[in-house]
This record gives sequence, structure tokens and C-alpha cells, in this order.
Amino acid sequence: MARQYEIPVGAQHISLLEPLHFKFTTENEKIISTEANVYYVHRGIEQACCSKFKFRQVSFVVGRVCGLCSISHTTAYSQVAEKLLNIEIPKRAKYLRMLVIELDRIHSHLLCLSHVAENSGFEALFMKTMQYREFSMELLEAICGNRIQYDFSIVGGVSRDLKPDVADWVLKRLKTFVPELDELLDIYQNNWTLSLKNKGAGAINKETAKRLNVVGPFARAAGLAIDVRNETEDLLPWKEVGFEMVTETAGDVYARNILRLRELYISINIIQNVINGLPEGALVTETKAFPDGEAVVRLEAPRGELFYYAKGNKTQVLERLKIKAPTFSNVAGMVEAFTGNEYGSAAAIIASYDPCLSCTAR
Amino acid sequence: MVLLLPLSHLMILAFPVRHDDSYRNAPFECCYNKSQRPLAGDVAQISKMKTFLKAIGNLFKKPVTTQYPFEQTYKPDDYRGLIGFNEDLCIWCRRCEVVCPPGAIVFSQDMEGKQTYHFNRAVCIYCGECVHTCPKEGAIFQTAEPAPCALKAENINNGWNKLYDEAIASREAYAAEKKRKTAEAAAQKAAEAAAAKAALAQQTEAEKTAAPKIQGE
Repeated sequence: MARQYEIPVGAQHISLLEPLHFKFTTENEKIISTEANVYYVHRGIEQACCSKFKFRQVSFVVGRVCGLCSISHTTAYSQVAEKLLNIEIPKRAKYLRMLVIELDRIHSHLLCLSHVAENSGFEALFMKTMQYREFSMELLEAICGNRIQYDFSIVGGVSRDLKPDVADWVLKRLKTFVPELDELLDIYQNNWTLSLKNKGAGAINKETAKRLNVVGPFARAAGLAIDVRNETEDLLPWKEVGFEMVTETAGDVYARNILRLRELYISINIIQNVINGLPEGALVTETKAFPDGEAVVRLEAPRGELFYYAKGNKTQVLERLKIKAPTFSNVAGMVEAFTGNEYGSAAAIIASYDPCLSCTAR
Repeated sequence: MVLLLPLSHLMILAFPVRHDDSYRNAPFECCYNKSQRPLAGDVAQISKMKTFLKAIGNLFKKPVTTQYPFEQTYKPDDYRGLIGFNEDLCIWCRRCEVVCPPGAIVFSQDMEGKQTYHFNRAVCIYCGECVHTCPKEGAIFQTAEPAPCALKAENINNGWNKLYDEAIASREAYAAEKKRKTAEAAAQKAAEAAAAKAALAQQTEAEKTAAPKIQGE
């Protein structure tokens, strides 16, 4: 038996975007077991939402939980608050929410892909992916008025309307993005040097993924067809705007890259359908009611299923708000998928999980 | 010549050179059969060269980044910028202060009841809730101008906390003063009313005592 070494990665590490700690036990450079510690950025947001802020202000607070999936958090909270208030929002507001969620998915997936390329040692591809990502940030700025922290969903609807010239620009820009995406898919699929670091690394099979309750692109890359957009129709009409399930079978870093890129084609399709079929109507349903009772909402964030629970007691301040972020569900699967890999490919594997620790620790 | 190129172009030269044997040890058996393994054959070499040539080609292209200090970056017309305030239109309902999520707006009040609007650009999150809530159009509005940086001399954090507490205290003082004045006025009024009532009662008493005399006569 070879000697075992314990190698820590994090909480501050060159390949990590956020504080995250992995303790690898390695034998001949091979990882045989892993421990994860994810709660470094706890900010007490749930407690603040239930004490300091009124229920209408909370949608802006939860938008600050995460910079990348800000719109997913605000939308999920708005939906849960609307359930507590027992109101139905206008159809135009639902469509605009879907538009921003999908644009957000484009920029989040491309960021993750570029990060995988960088951690695999492919700086040129990192630059290229970030270059192609920039358009989605500009479109989001044009729609929401800010590059990050969109504050787009509010309780009862959305805060801003989509202007016709911006809508035209979005469609035009998406058309030029499709060939760029084809180019990226070609590189991620066929580049030999990248495949050396990505193919077979961090693999997880379908049964393990199901047993460990893995969600999002991580699960879909392993062949597990889990997507909230496929399951719920009452809050946002995903199938009406052309949602299709994308799955891969391999479950390794390579499969996750390809899955994310293939999902972007679906996102582009959804955005085009939303803009072309945007219904007329009001943006906000006004109400003077106070939240009462309990409600649960699930929403597909770029990283997987986002879960919100809220409890109201007929006052301005909520009694309880619970946020369960997709990365939290994935931690068990993340730890499992390292086993049997080279320590050298750990950085690329971590990036391919797309971990969002601010969401997890809240 | 090379030194003159932007840094982003030089970074592209850092082409990946990593250990070649990593794929041999990786667990392929779970998902890939042998035919799908990456091969160092002709096809793979050509696709490797393709990306490499593209990366080299980037050396002769213009930078895609905006040269920021010399060139304005993209900014939409309805950018969420500074919050403006028009004192002439305001009806002093203080609804913007109530809805503001971070508490960046506060109204102070002097003893005559005149209110003053205070806004902190460093606390504001530029969500525009105050503008949506305002019942009087144009009293509070959002401009497209980004907030300038705060200077040390402004003391924007501690100064604001102090100002906020003082503003709330000034309103409470005014309310207390108003309550006291109202109570005083009410007491005075009550005293006057009581005096009037007493006078009236006295008068009727006098009339009553006077009446039998008339009757008696």
C-alpha cells in the first residue's frame, strides 16, 4: 500500500472563485476520499429577511444572495410571496421573468465554461468564452438597467417593461451569437488538449447521481432528466415557450461542458419565442393584502433546482424564509465524483460543478 | 512590437501544455468505450492545430475590450442611476422612506413642521422602488447618471448613521411638541368650555331663583 497524503484545497485557492474547502486524501496522486466544507460566507440573510425587512423589500435582499443567479432568487421569492398573498400575476410579467432568467442562464453557463477552460490550463479558450459572454451582460443591462443585481422581479410582477428597440436588439444580437456558440461547441467538443483534461474526469453515474439527490446540469450530464422547467407549469409556462430537456450520458467534465453549451441553444430558442409572443397587458398585480400561511416554490436556476419556503402571519414581516440553493443539494455528489481521479484534474472538476457558495451559505 | 500588444493578446500565447498521460489513468470504463477515447491521430492533430491557428490569428486582430478611460463603455438610456428629488412637487407623504429597502432616504423635520429630504447614494441600491411608490409624479425620479465615488471627507457611513438617527429624533421631537401643543390647546379649550358651562349654569340658576320672584309677584 502506498503512503497516503492529505492535500487541502481552499478556503482561499487560485482555482476557486469563492471560499470553499476540500480536503483530499490521495494515494499516488489519486484521490481516494474527499471532505468538503462549504459554509464560509454565511451572512444571516434568512434571519434578516424575517426581522429587519418588510415582505416587499425582501425580494431585493434575496437578490443579493448570489451575483450570478440574482434573478432566480428574486423570482423564486416573488413567486412564493405571491402564493402567500394569493394573487395571480399578469402573463406579460411571467414572460418577462422567463426572458431575464434565460439571459441570465446564458451568462452563467458561459462563465462556468470559461472557468473550466481556465482551470484545465486553456487560457486562450477562457478568453474566447468570456469574449462571447459579454453580449449577454450588455443585453441584461439594457433590459434591467444594471449588469448585475437586476432587481427585476418584484412581488406582484416585474419592475420594468421591455422596450421595443431593446427587444429588437436582443433578437439581432442572439442571431450573431449562434455562430459564436457553434464555434465554442466545436472547440469544447473536438479540442484534443482540452479532452485530455476533461474526458473521464469527475465522472458520476446515473444511479449514484439519483441516490445522492444531485440536481441541475450536474445531474443532467449524468443522464438524470431532472429539470423544474419540465415539471411545473403553474408559475411560469416553460413548455409554451419551447423548453426541451437536454441530457448527456457520460457524467464527466466533458459531458457537463457539452450539456451547458447545448442548453444555451434551448435558452436562445426560449428568448426568441418569448419576445416574438410577448403578450400585452399590465406588469404588476396590485394588492394590499398581507402574506398569510405557508408556501413552497421551486425554480430552475442555472445551477439546478432552487427551493424557497415562506411562512407569513398577516403582518408586514415574514415569520420564516428558507432558501435551499442548488449547490447545497450537489455537495454530496461533488464529494463522491472526485473519487478515483488524479489530483491534477481536481481544479477542472471543481469548476465544472459550477459551485455557488454564497447561495449555499446564504 | 510584441511589447506594444495588449496584455490580453499575450495571455493567449499561454497555450495549454499539460501532462499527456492523464487520460490513461482516468476512469473511462464507466462511460466511454475505446472508440470514443481521444486519439493522437491525424484528425485530433488537425483539430488541435485549428484552435492553435485561431489563437495565433488573434495576435493580428484589434482588442475586443473597450479601452475604458479613453472610450465610453456601453450605458443604456434608462440606466438605473442616481435618485433625484423635486422639493416643489413633493407632498411629504414619506412613502419613499417607508418602502426603501436599505433605508437610503430619510426626512428630518424642524420645529415649525418643515421637512427636509436626505439621500445617501452609498446606501442606495438603485432599485427604483421609491419612484414606483411615489403618488405624485416627478417628485422623486431616477436619472441615468451613475453615482460618484464617496470621499473620506464626506464621512458617508458614520455621518449618515448619525444623520439618520437625528432625523428620526427630530421628527419625534416635532410630534411630541405637536402632541403637547394639542393637549395644551385641548386643555385650554376644555377649561374655557368648563368656565362657560359654569357661567351658563350660574346664569340659569340666577334666572331660576329670579323666576319665582316674578311668579310670586
